[in-house]
Amino acid sequence: MSWSDRVDQAYAAALGEASLRDEGFPPLTVEVPADRWVEALAVARDVLGCTFFDWLSAVDEGEGGFAVLCHVVARRTAGVEHLAVRCLLPRSRPVLASAAGVFAGARWHERETHEMFGVDFTDGGALLPMVPLLLPEEFEGHPLRKDFVLASRVAIPWPGAKEPGESEGAPATSRSRRKARPAGVPDPDEWGPR
Amino acid sequence: MSPLPARSRGVIALIEENCTSCMLCARECPSWCIHIDSHTETVPASTEGGRDRTRTVLDRFAIDWSLCMYCSICIEVCPFDALHWSPELAAPEGDIRELTHERDQLEAWLASVPEPQPLDERAEPAKEIAAARRAADRARLGRQA
Repeated sequence: MSWSDRVDQAYAAALGEASLRDEGFPPLTVEVPADRWVEALAVARDVLGCTFFDWLSAVDEGEGGFAVLCHVVARRTAGVEHLAVRCLLPRSRPVLASAAGVFAGARWHERETHEMFGVDFTDGGALLPMVPLLLPEEFEGHPLRKDFVLASRVAIPWPGAKEPGESEGAPATSRSRRKARPAGVPDPDEWGPR
Repeated sequence: MSPLPARSRGVIALIEENCTSCMLCARECPSWCIHIDSHTETVPASTEGGRDRTRTVLDRFAIDWSLCMYCSICIEVCPFDALHWSPELAAPEGDIRELTHERDQLEAWLASVPEPQPLDERAEPAKEIAAARRAADRARLGRQA
């Protein structure tokens, strides 16, 4: 039986209609409801033999909330099989049960995901305290969220702001168009110190 | 050392003659590492009663290698093929301020830019070549007539 068939069968048996196979690009991805996250990871480990925990992180899907992804690997004699398990959390309240009971190494990744995306993790219903991992303690905000403003980009002049024929300190003779703005950077008049 | 694959991303070489200072690469660059300065020049009309034309002249083209992430977007976006990958690995500089390479340094990499990969079998020829061939055919027909 092929790996994708085995994954389909294992998740159909454990979660039934609740799980969904992503037909997109590899690695093979299974979407599961957030409230059955730990159960879905246990299926990967115990039924499919994905004993190697590679990583866990999140994706900011904007209005759609946050997708939490976990990549696990099964060792085979001929090589390895990959599996990604994904669940979607609402933007207003991104809370997920910790996967550390299934893969002990997940705690480190959950701390990073908490720092970068502001996703909270619980153990037995209680919120896990998260000690900062990479960022300084006084850091405010979650830098991998799409709405996080890169302050240095507001402060530093954008090299693309110049028009053709324009130089540092020597503006173009004809200013026909509206000044171009860099993508994803708010106007300094609207954001930052004034 | 074994030779690097032809499409290795070593350094970016600049063909200054092809650059029109259109700013597309500097605007698309996600790392903000391309700095371009240019000015406009007036070219007098070549025919009587014609209009004077302006053209932009490149004054500065620099890439800050301390910011560049080798994503290749500038090379893809350039409408005039002024930027090319060279498999040469830039020698590391001893000082971060010297990691901004100006156009003379970027032009020097041109020698090691590999030939473009051959087209697929039965692919359409490049537009420039097709146009040149048509012009040559016309000229030949004109001579014969």
